[in-house]
Amino acid sequence: MTPASTDAFDALPAQPQVLLVDDDEVNLLLTGIALRERGFRMTEASSGERALEVLRAHAPDIIVLDAIMPGLDGFATCRAIRALPGFENVPVLMLTGLDDDASITRAYQAGATDFFVKATQWSLLAGRLHYLLRASQTRLELERSKAKLARAQDLARMGSFDWRRGEHGGLLMSSEALRVFGFGPHERLSLRSLLRMVPRDERRALMRQLHDAARSSSVLATDAPIVLLDGRQRIIHVDAEPEFDEHGQAAGYTGIVQDVTDRRQAEDKIRHLANFDALTGLPNRRQLIWRAERALEQARRLEHQFALLLIDLDRFKVINDTLGHGAGDELLVEVGRRLRACVRHSDQVMEGTLESAGMRSHRALEAVGRLGGDEFVALLPEVSADADAERVAERVLEAMHEPIFVGGQECFVSASVGVAIYPRDGTTVVDLLRNADVAMYSVKSQGKNAAAIYSPHLAGRGRDKLELETALHKAIERDELVLHYQPKIDVRAARMVGAEALMRWRRGGKLVPPSDFIPLAEDTGLIVPMSEWALREAARQVHAWQQAFAFDDSVAVNLSSRLFERSDLVEHIHRCVTAVNVPHRVIQLEITENNLMKELQNVIPSLHRLNEIGVEISIDDFGTGYSSLAYLTTLPISELKIDRSFVRELGITPQSSAVVTAIIALARSLGLRVVAEGVETLRQMEVLHRLGCGVMQGFLFSRPVPPEELQTWLEQTVLPRKAPWIGRATPNELPPDAPAAAGGARLLRFV
Amino acid sequence: MSATYCAPAPLDAAALARLRALDPEGRNGVLVRVLAAFETSLARTLGQLAALPDPADAAVVAGVAHTLKSSSASVGALHLASTCEELERRLRGTQAAVQRHEIERLIAVGEAALTTVRAMLRA
Repeated sequence: MTPASTDAFDALPAQPQVLLVDDDEVNLLLTGIALRERGFRMTEASSGERALEVLRAHAPDIIVLDAIMPGLDGFATCRAIRALPGFENVPVLMLTGLDDDASITRAYQAGATDFFVKATQWSLLAGRLHYLLRASQTRLELERSKAKLARAQDLARMGSFDWRRGEHGGLLMSSEALRVFGFGPHERLSLRSLLRMVPRDERRALMRQLHDAARSSSVLATDAPIVLLDGRQRIIHVDAEPEFDEHGQAAGYTGIVQDVTDRRQAEDKIRHLANFDALTGLPNRRQLIWRAERALEQARRLEHQFALLLIDLDRFKVINDTLGHGAGDELLVEVGRRLRACVRHSDQVMEGTLESAGMRSHRALEAVGRLGGDEFVALLPEVSADADAERVAERVLEAMHEPIFVGGQECFVSASVGVAIYPRDGTTVVDLLRNADVAMYSVKSQGKNAAAIYSPHLAGRGRDKLELETALHKAIERDELVLHYQPKIDVRAARMVGAEALMRWRRGGKLVPPSDFIPLAEDTGLIVPMSEWALREAARQVHAWQQAFAFDDSVAVNLSSRLFERSDLVEHIHRCVTAVNVPHRVIQLEITENNLMKELQNVIPSLHRLNEIGVEISIDDFGTGYSSLAYLTTLPISELKIDRSFVRELGITPQSSAVVTAIIALARSLGLRVVAEGVETLRQMEVLHRLGCGVMQGFLFSRPVPPEELQTWLEQTVLPRKAPWIGRATPNELPPDAPAAAGGARLLRFV
Repeated sequence: MSATYCAPAPLDAAALARLRALDPEGRNGVLVRVLAAFETSLARTLGQLAALPDPADAAVVAGVAHTLKSSSASVGALHLASTCEELERRLRGTQAAVQRHEIERLIAVGEAALTTVRAMLRA
């Protein structure tokens, strides 16, 4: 005997196993012989009881049961067989008498698959058995594919339904469909009760849709929100096609229902990700631009003004650099939270068209969004005057007043706000954003932490800046950059002991002051090629002076930390000096104290390598920043330059001489030279000298001059000792161990 | 010996031909096996009929007639088959008791068939 077939596509068994049950021994024998003859494998049982015993151990492919038997008759046996697990669907053929109608009916009632009138025509019986086996196989396949479909539908949270029109019609749902709605497989659900699961607000629209579809017998495809009996909210997709009867009359609908809640949520999530900034949760650039475009359309149509506020945090980079990006992110989140509170912020995801929910629907566009980095935008879809936008800008600035606690410490942030108003300041979103940007930059350049409304006058300035940037790009190739030199003077010996090179830009016959183009060069990165040029030029100049008057000192070139971070700086300097055949030591590098300390870790390797090849490092603007004294003792530096601010106050405020004294003492104990900058008066010179600083720089001696003038100055002023400062400081006034005096070790010789 | 007598008649040729057709070369002794089985079963049944009380239960007699009907038809004892069929039809669904003479008639027809079959088995 074979176990129940496991594969729906199995062929029929070659020798089907038959259990034949008959109390008539002759018939049992004869039928057995006849069916064996026809390729069946037979098991015979002479009673219903015996048959049930046999089935305990074996599963035949088909059972042939005599209807009338003493004891357990065919009907009772059939019922007992159907009750056995695994025999629910095995084909049972009931053998009845020719005119025994009652038995035929009873046979079906007892669960028999079919009946056969007892006869001696064995071929007919064999044929019927084959037919039943095939039908059973087909049924099995159907059952399996139905189960697969049910499983697939179940996985897809899908089920099918039929809806018939008319009195006897109604809704018939598969058990999978019932499950979609949270019902058991045997529950009945009417269309009415189903519609009651749709929230009232949406129900009316859905019913209208159903009516419309039914009236025109059109395909129905829609999503409907429902609330399950347990209160869960789901979204059900309904897809149905009309069915027609043989007369072409609309008979009803057949279709599927599917729970698409998860897909919807995923779609919503995707839409959210595409439109909102992941960090702050605010609308992102895309969403902001979209909203601004809609606001613009509405403003144009309804002829009102709308405002764009561009909000940029001040010094955010410093916070990011010092406290780390994590803290920077935390700060942005908090700023975003505060900014939201400044407007009637709407979080609704908006795409496609703005639903026309009344004339004032554009109000829903109002929002604060993050454009990127530390830039935010507030969109005010309707303002009646500048003052409206200004009020919001004020609110924004106020919102920043409270310190923000990030990275374990309180941070004080401020913002610069630029405002542009449609239509006056632009008629496209791009123009408005650009002009808000111009206004914001004007705030930045005037000290930050304020708001400004765009004006064409500001744009002029912006254009100037752009032009300047373009021109600066070309300045190097056009040879418009020049170096001016300011001598460093050993006042006691009345000698020049070196010079500082200062960059100037000769543009269209005018000299552009460094303050106008150095920050721009820093911002744009042009400072790198410009500094490289300065190094080359300084080396060339030293060589020229050596030829002209045996110059034997160094020229100091100012470099930003950005240059020190470049791994090829040493090599570049090497190339510059060897190209003109001068030693490395003729180049000295100045870095500001602030610059050095900010990028200390990145700069230290360069400092060491430079020091090794003989290039000395001088710290500029010393005293204005926050030097780590611990680092100062280990850094390979040679010189400190006292900031001009202390020199200016010398002899006026006692504090400044205290600072200068301290710097000099520090330099002395660290074995560093000290140079005072910005010396303009004899009095300053004398005080500095008295305090122990012997090397100075300033207008008292010479302003920065073109290289040829420096030579003239030396020849006409220093050498003839004609200047008023010469002779004021005598050697014996200096402390005997002043390292400042060491700066004068190299003598000026004239050819 | 029952009161009613019935003369033995030969088995139906067509039925026998069908039986022979199941074992055309007679290698499996199908005919003999079937006849032997019929003989055993018929003898036992006739004994049961003879032992029935008077009057007998219609359902019991109808059941016996039903069984005898198909087996006798199979071996070609057509008289017995038709007798059983008639009796079964008359008794099916009735509660009435069965008269002794009806049983005796059935026994007599059965004895005749038994005689024929025994003769064939001996031959």
